Amino acid sequence: MSVEADLLTWIDSLIVETLAFSPEEGLPGGARMATLAGLCARIVPAATDLGMLETAACAEGLARQIASPGPGFSALLEEQIELLQMNADSELAARLSQQRVAAGGSAEVFQDLSMIGDFISEAREHLETIEQELLLLEQSPQSAEPIHAIFRSFHTIKGLAGIFNLTSTRDLAHEVETLLDLVRNGALPATPSLVDVVLACADRLGEIVNRLDDDRGGNAVALPDNSELLERLRNEMMPPDDEPLAVEAGGGVQEASGGLMIAPTLSPIDEQLTAGMGGLETSSSGADASAARRRANDANSAHVKVETAKLDFLVDMVGELVIAQSLVQQDPSLAQLGEPRLGRNLSQLGRITTDLQKIAMSLRVVPIRQTFQRMQRAFRDLVKKSGKQAELELVGEDAELDRSIVEQLADPLMHMIRNSVDHGLEAPGEREQTSKPPIGKVRLVASHQSGNVLIEVSDDGRGLNRAKILKKAIERGLIPEDANLPVDKILELIFEPGFSTADQISDVSGRGVGMDVVKKQIQKLRGRIEIRSEPGTGTTFLLRFPLTLAIIDGLTVRVAGERYILPLHCVHEIFRPIADSIYRVNGAQEVVLVRDRVVPLLRLYQMLGRTPETTDPYAGILIAAELEGRRYCLLVDELLGKQEVVIKNLGEYLGTMPGVSGAAILGDGCVGLILDLEGMLSKESYDAAA
Amino acid sequence: MNTMSAPTTEIRSGMPPAAPGAARGPSKHLIFSLGKEEFAVPVAKVKEIIGMLEVTPVPHTAEYVRGVINLRGKVVPVIDLRLKLGVPSVEYDARTCIVVVQPEMAKSVFLIGVIVDGVSEVMPVQSSDIEKTETFSHGLISSGYVQGVAKIRGKVKILLDLDCVLSQADLQQLL
Repeated sequence: MSVEADLLTWIDSLIVETLAFSPEEGLPGGARMATLAGLCARIVPAATDLGMLETAACAEGLARQIASPGPGFSALLEEQIELLQMNADSELAARLSQQRVAAGGSAEVFQDLSMIGDFISEAREHLETIEQELLLLEQSPQSAEPIHAIFRSFHTIKGLAGIFNLTSTRDLAHEVETLLDLVRNGALPATPSLVDVVLACADRLGEIVNRLDDDRGGNAVALPDNSELLERLRNEMMPPDDEPLAVEAGGGVQEASGGLMIAPTLSPIDEQLTAGMGGLETSSSGADASAARRRANDANSAHVKVETAKLDFLVDMVGELVIAQSLVQQDPSLAQLGEPRLGRNLSQLGRITTDLQKIAMSLRVVPIRQTFQRMQRAFRDLVKKSGKQAELELVGEDAELDRSIVEQLADPLMHMIRNSVDHGLEAPGEREQTSKPPIGKVRLVASHQSGNVLIEVSDDGRGLNRAKILKKAIERGLIPEDANLPVDKILELIFEPGFSTADQISDVSGRGVGMDVVKKQIQKLRGRIEIRSEPGTGTTFLLRFPLTLAIIDGLTVRVAGERYILPLHCVHEIFRPIADSIYRVNGAQEVVLVRDRVVPLLRLYQMLGRTPETTDPYAGILIAAELEGRRYCLLVDELLGKQEVVIKNLGEYLGTMPGVSGAAILGDGCVGLILDLEGMLSKESYDAAA
Repeated sequence: MNTMSAPTTEIRSGMPPAAPGAARGPSKHLIFSLGKEEFAVPVAKVKEIIGMLEVTPVPHTAEYVRGVINLRGKVVPVIDLRLKLGVPSVEYDARTCIVVVQPEMAKSVFLIGVIVDGVSEVMPVQSSDIEKTETFSHGLISSGYVQGVAKIRGKVKILLDLDCVLSQADLQQLL
């Protein structure tokens, strides 16, 4: 093993040496060049001896580069060394697995569950990169960075597959790599069909990874047959006859480490292309920007993978620490002591606790980018299937929100985008008639707005057909035939269970999952959904989410001697009832007159089954809340304040209680219940009906 | 908050899990009282014993569910064992405490606080001390919550089947 270890050490030294280069300074000094050459000279024979031919060839190329430095030397050198490292890694891994097979332990590698787990997670990460970069490549076929990134990822997957003896998988990855190499060298253009094939291969690899994941450690994983894909790959590799002047895919474009793009010598044809495609230019600069950002991230921050359960526990414990700290700080006996040093130390503790809390809370939020990018991929496939022309615009991918919202947002978003493509956007012919641009546009925008995250899904399609919605709702018996609904209520009908406006069931949408499911999913994430639509100009869905699910902005109130927390987002106003503003309708339902509007009055103590201190509503305080589009006034005894609380569940023993969404530890260490007003009302109406 | 640390000795094998009287060898039990009766539960199921805390009531639950407490950041439900077993309730006093137990339900493990009049000691219970209760026809003991009675040093301790007492079967119907 010692030769192998030496080899790796030498390669590492190469990397270290080149890291010290700065491109602005021009060529590195003679001494450093000599060191590099010496390392190469040692690597070549060692690799040859070990049968690592690709590595040896790579090192030879490197030695040549060092012997005759040319323009763009340092960037080329970095690229070459990276390639060398990848080759060495994969060839070493292949050697290792061969040795194991020779030792008669082919299955043994596979049974190592943790190893296969690492393989799965790493492969998934690379597949994600591949997908994103392919989409970038499709937008700007000239840019060099995506193709390199894709190549690297496939290469890594190939190496990993080699370690686990997944021969067919390795071969597939290898074949893709060969194809990408041609593109990389400018021998092939990055055509849409090529991107398609590579995407299909990435999907297949994803499928294999999923199967491995489903069947951890089983040796009998049935792997799909890749022959058809391999065939497609090989077809792509045939150079197209009618395009002999394949665009040199920006082969010379290299980037300097400062994120600056140096385009050394653009051939005339490249310049024409860039000049001729204004639209392309913006998208490619966007691609560059995001690539630069990613590189900056890679350079500046290392990441650690942590189990989410541990993270949640940490956040919980920090919450406790904050409470314990404030309990100590507010202890009356401390004030009597009058010790200035103790006071100083305590306030220092307080500051640390606050910082810690901020960091802990930030652990829960992630940028929405990942989910948006998944949409981009899905969108591309949807558009292809529907035969329409459309583009997806993503704005605000950096907006951060709670991890669990980001994860669970994908399904509803996907559904809305699917609706936009399938029902919203018109066929190209129809768009021409209405003098719209032939290419439809779907926008996905995330932004922060007054403490919430706002996500917009909009299209410039035909808009919702109100007459059709009404007709369907009547057909389905959702509303009576003579119903006279305002416009926004008509639009909201599409959120009713069992509603779908698709005339024909297509492959793309209309699978029986309606907007009602979308609405439910969004409400589950404590979000709200609104809809805006103008006939002929398009439809917009507005989704609003809290920044985090762990913390709720609450209004602490006292009802019948107990403290309860009302979620602030449904509170509209708080007031003392004006004399003679409360009436009893039909001797049963109490109502309040609020600015000439009649609003039902709900006595919280009744709903909570508590014995009140007083039944006089004028002695209490009214809280106007909006629930599912309707206004209610809630009667409480006293307002105690507004505070952010960490939501905890009531535990399995009690399970989910109607009307209680959770509990929170209040500032004095006692538990306060967080009321779920919607659940409480549905229980109320249920009780009333029973 | 006069918190006593929980007995750490775990003697799981010594306690009959389901079949009463099937135990071999002694197992440590926590003795607590309700009125004049003394009860015993295996210490292996007891996580800790804490003094009475302020309990936040939860609406629409059975009367014996007093509510929830904050156990160092965890929200833990608390039941009143007197009310659960149909023993007349009394005012809580300085001896009243919450025994935090971890019953083993079908699927999951969680904490529940049980309010008792007071705890007295931890003592070993020999399987030979235990008498089965099939022949008893009297109220509480025939309720199915009792695994048997043990006669130790001339005094009778009722062996309580915690998992059974804390099963959620009767809680669900209230929802």
